[in-house]
Amino acid sequence: MISNALSLMILIPLLGAAVSFFVGTRAKFVALIASLAPLLLSLQMYMEFDKSSTMMQFVESYDWVPSIGVKYTLGVDGIGFPLVLLSTIVSVLVIIYSWGETKKPNQYFALLLLNEVGVLGVFTALDFFLFYIFWEIVLIPMFFLIGSWGGPRKDYAAIKFFIYTHVASLVMLLAIFALYFTYQLPDGSRTFDMLTLLKATQNPEIFPPALLNIIFAGLLLGFLVKMPAFPFHTWLPDAHVEAPTAGSVVLAALLLKMGGYGLFRIIVPMLDYVDKAFITIIAVIAVLSIVYGAFLALAQKDIKKLVAYSSVSHMGFVTLGAVALVPLSIQGAMFQQFSHGIITCVLFMSAGTIQHVVGTRIIADLGGLADRMPKFAVIMMAGFMASLGLPGMSGFVAEFMTLTGAYATLPTYVMIVVFLSIVITAAYHLWAMQKAMFGPILRKYMDVHDPHAYELFSMSVIILLTLLFGLQPHLMTDIMGTAANQLLQPVATLSEMGVI
Amino acid sequence: MDFYHYAPLWGEALLTALALLILLLGALKKNGGKIPGYLSLVGLVAAQGLVSSNLMMARPAALFFFDTISVDALSQFFKAVFLVVSLLVVISSLSRYTGKGADEYYALLLLATVGMMVVSSSIDLVTLFIGFELASLATYAMAAFDKTKKNLEAAMKYFIYGSVSSAFMLFGFSLLYGMTGSTKLADVAAASVESFGAATLVALLFVVAGFAFKMALVPFHMWAPDTYEGAPSLVSALLAAGSKKMGFAAAFRVLMIALVAMRLEWYLAFAILAAVTMTLGNLAACWQNNVRRILAYSSIAQAGYIAMGFAVVGKAWGDAPVDVLNLGVQQMALLGIAGALLLVLAHALMKTGAFIATAQVAPISPKESESDPDDISNYAGLISRAPITAICMMVLMFALAGIPPTAGFVGKLVLFASVYYSGLVWLVVLAILNSALSLVYYLRIISYMILKEPEGPKISEAKGYVAGIVLATLAVVYIGVFPDQFINWALQAATVLLPQ
Repeated sequence: MISNALSLMILIPLLGAAVSFFVGTRAKFVALIASLAPLLLSLQMYMEFDKSSTMMQFVESYDWVPSIGVKYTLGVDGIGFPLVLLSTIVSVLVIIYSWGETKKPNQYFALLLLNEVGVLGVFTALDFFLFYIFWEIVLIPMFFLIGSWGGPRKDYAAIKFFIYTHVASLVMLLAIFALYFTYQLPDGSRTFDMLTLLKATQNPEIFPPALLNIIFAGLLLGFLVKMPAFPFHTWLPDAHVEAPTAGSVVLAALLLKMGGYGLFRIIVPMLDYVDKAFITIIAVIAVLSIVYGAFLALAQKDIKKLVAYSSVSHMGFVTLGAVALVPLSIQGAMFQQFSHGIITCVLFMSAGTIQHVVGTRIIADLGGLADRMPKFAVIMMAGFMASLGLPGMSGFVAEFMTLTGAYATLPTYVMIVVFLSIVITAAYHLWAMQKAMFGPILRKYMDVHDPHAYELFSMSVIILLTLLFGLQPHLMTDIMGTAANQLLQPVATLSEMGVI
Repeated sequence: MDFYHYAPLWGEALLTALALLILLLGALKKNGGKIPGYLSLVGLVAAQGLVSSNLMMARPAALFFFDTISVDALSQFFKAVFLVVSLLVVISSLSRYTGKGADEYYALLLLATVGMMVVSSSIDLVTLFIGFELASLATYAMAAFDKTKKNLEAAMKYFIYGSVSSAFMLFGFSLLYGMTGSTKLADVAAASVESFGAATLVALLFVVAGFAFKMALVPFHMWAPDTYEGAPSLVSALLAAGSKKMGFAAAFRVLMIALVAMRLEWYLAFAILAAVTMTLGNLAACWQNNVRRILAYSSIAQAGYIAMGFAVVGKAWGDAPVDVLNLGVQQMALLGIAGALLLVLAHALMKTGAFIATAQVAPISPKESESDPDDISNYAGLISRAPITAICMMVLMFALAGIPPTAGFVGKLVLFASVYYSGLVWLVVLAILNSALSLVYYLRIISYMILKEPEGPKISEAKGYVAGIVLATLAVVYIGVFPDQFINWALQAATVLLPQ
């Protein structure tokens, strides 16, 4: 086993970002190498990962700022590791998909790599301070990707994205500081250690419910905005519509998962110790996100906006599964994170490809493209099927597990609403697909043709992954099952696990 | 005379001698090329070395010249800050002020530095005033150094306001002397405690007003935006980062008497002063279009944050020590001063860097006569026109907004924590809101630099400017990543002020 694998995984893209900034048009080669290395590392880690262990693995811990109790602690368990894998896979594919980028390619690829640094950091940091820094780092490349390579209203979208999510992060930061300043270790010192603080929140003597409720609300807001859940989803459509394709892919596949990750890592362990009303509130938010997102998607004219709202709907399943608080639903929700992460890549890449091949994304203006773009049509079709939850693909497994699990705890009428929304989901996917790709080809599109091979390659890899995890879900769910069971137990700190 | 007895003051002596030497050289040789600049550079580095050699000297302080000059951790802290600022300014000036007339510039700069250093060491009203005037007179001349119309206006304004503030201060000093019969701060403090009357209050008000001009606290801030905008950019750097901090150095020494010795309920006045200053500064900055004016208002806002340190001392003095950060049990008053000092250090570095960046951008603007060279539109697309400047400026803007891991964050963390624990919760809430608000205008500059399409020619980045701004940025990041030693240093400096 390579020692310090997690640090290396973060450091290599960081160096890659610095190098690609200065090498002009050759940046894409640097970026590919700098993103392949973490992928290989994470695959190696997957081989070595102990799926039955509830302990943190690959832990690294060093003192960083002793005077305020900050440590550089990285580690992954069943919650974080699938997302690490997701991040490394998506980063490579996005870089391949963007192979033809000609506008300031050095900055473009540097930003994509920087983004990978941020998300990997978020998924592996076990110190709240470090976590927050990575959480903020992610904002910066996305802000520039939207603002520099975006569509007509890019400035507005970029600023809205930044301010909206940054304000939510600040609220989260305040909650983190409230945790930090309330809890003292037995020797009187303070710590930002995530697991230690989470364990402390499970002790009502240290965190009286009144205080914990406020802290909880602050943290929750930070994560729900990132997810994004209704009613905090309004930044998402703007950001997605204006962002360049790679930006949208990264935003939907990785950045939204940060919110879900926070939900599992931080919110779920605290749920039992806060006001029970929170569970109801979160469940309501989840159901509203699922249903409202689906209806909004149905109403969209722009195919990219449709995909954006479908993300809101799909991420609602994550929230729902997490708050249902039974192992199966949590496992399903975690799998939904992973599954949505890969599937949404195909959807956004399809939207991007249509945009640059045909010149428009308005569904009503499209028609019969399958005739001229047969390979692309197959892949896009597969992607849309995966997204609407076709059995045999990963999306189905995830939603099935989530809903089966949630059925046990949530009221029946809620479940009926959610099940009905699945029909809507199928409707907007099929409708968009039918209208854009099939039917008689429009005369003006007679000379369009299949996109570049690198675009098709990225998308087909994802379809294969979707099928792989749809048919063999245990490859991922084994890890998540262990994590889900462990989430319902009291938190154990790193020293209790004996890993440091 | 024992030469070695004065070893702690060799730095000042060296700079004074050097300033005279440079003037002499200038008189003998009309065009000295870069010699005066390099001489100053070497002198400042040497002085920094001398100051650093007794950086941590706490107690007993070394007293000189009939106990009017004290060399202690506090004075060394400020001296180090002043020297770093001057050093950065000199490095940048090497690309700007060479040849004929340059000798005067460097001589004035060195004398101003000596003046500031004297102020930071003064424990006597007369030496304090002399140091103040030395620094002020030198910078008045520097503010008009390019002799453009704008320079003259700026310098005039600065001179008039500065003279009035000196008059206020001197009047306050004379009242204090009249009442107590001594010019030594310690004697003044002791005598004032014994017989505190209306006259003492008036005297202190005058003194506070005098200092507040230099610190640019509301309502004595009006000169700052005009002067920072109109003076040569590099001089603005010296004014905002150096001479303004001299006001704080003096205020810390003198006001501690009012706050600590007299145990007045003055903290509320300072809290309100700080609150108003930061809010007005931030609000005003949002409406500016001139980058140097934005920086000026941001520096007013930062002065407001720093001034919270006074409020903490007044509020928390005598309270039981609390264990807040991992610094052991500390008095909040001490932590408040340490936080203010850290912010002084951070702000000095950030503002020097930022003003050097404006110097880099301004001179190449297309039509200097018609348009404002510092207008924010000149920063459009800076990332392609001057990549190093733009990236550094971006980091500095984030640092000014207090985003981790930068020096700006460390200072705010320590200071805000002390404000919170001293019981001024409303003030800390306001300060946090202000930090969020400040992001609006920092982001505006960043979005111009990076998101807008490039306008205007590519800038060939002058070596001196690049060196100055890169060094400042690296220092800001270094302090942010490894803050431990700096926090301890600031705490050490803060202990000097509090009676044991």
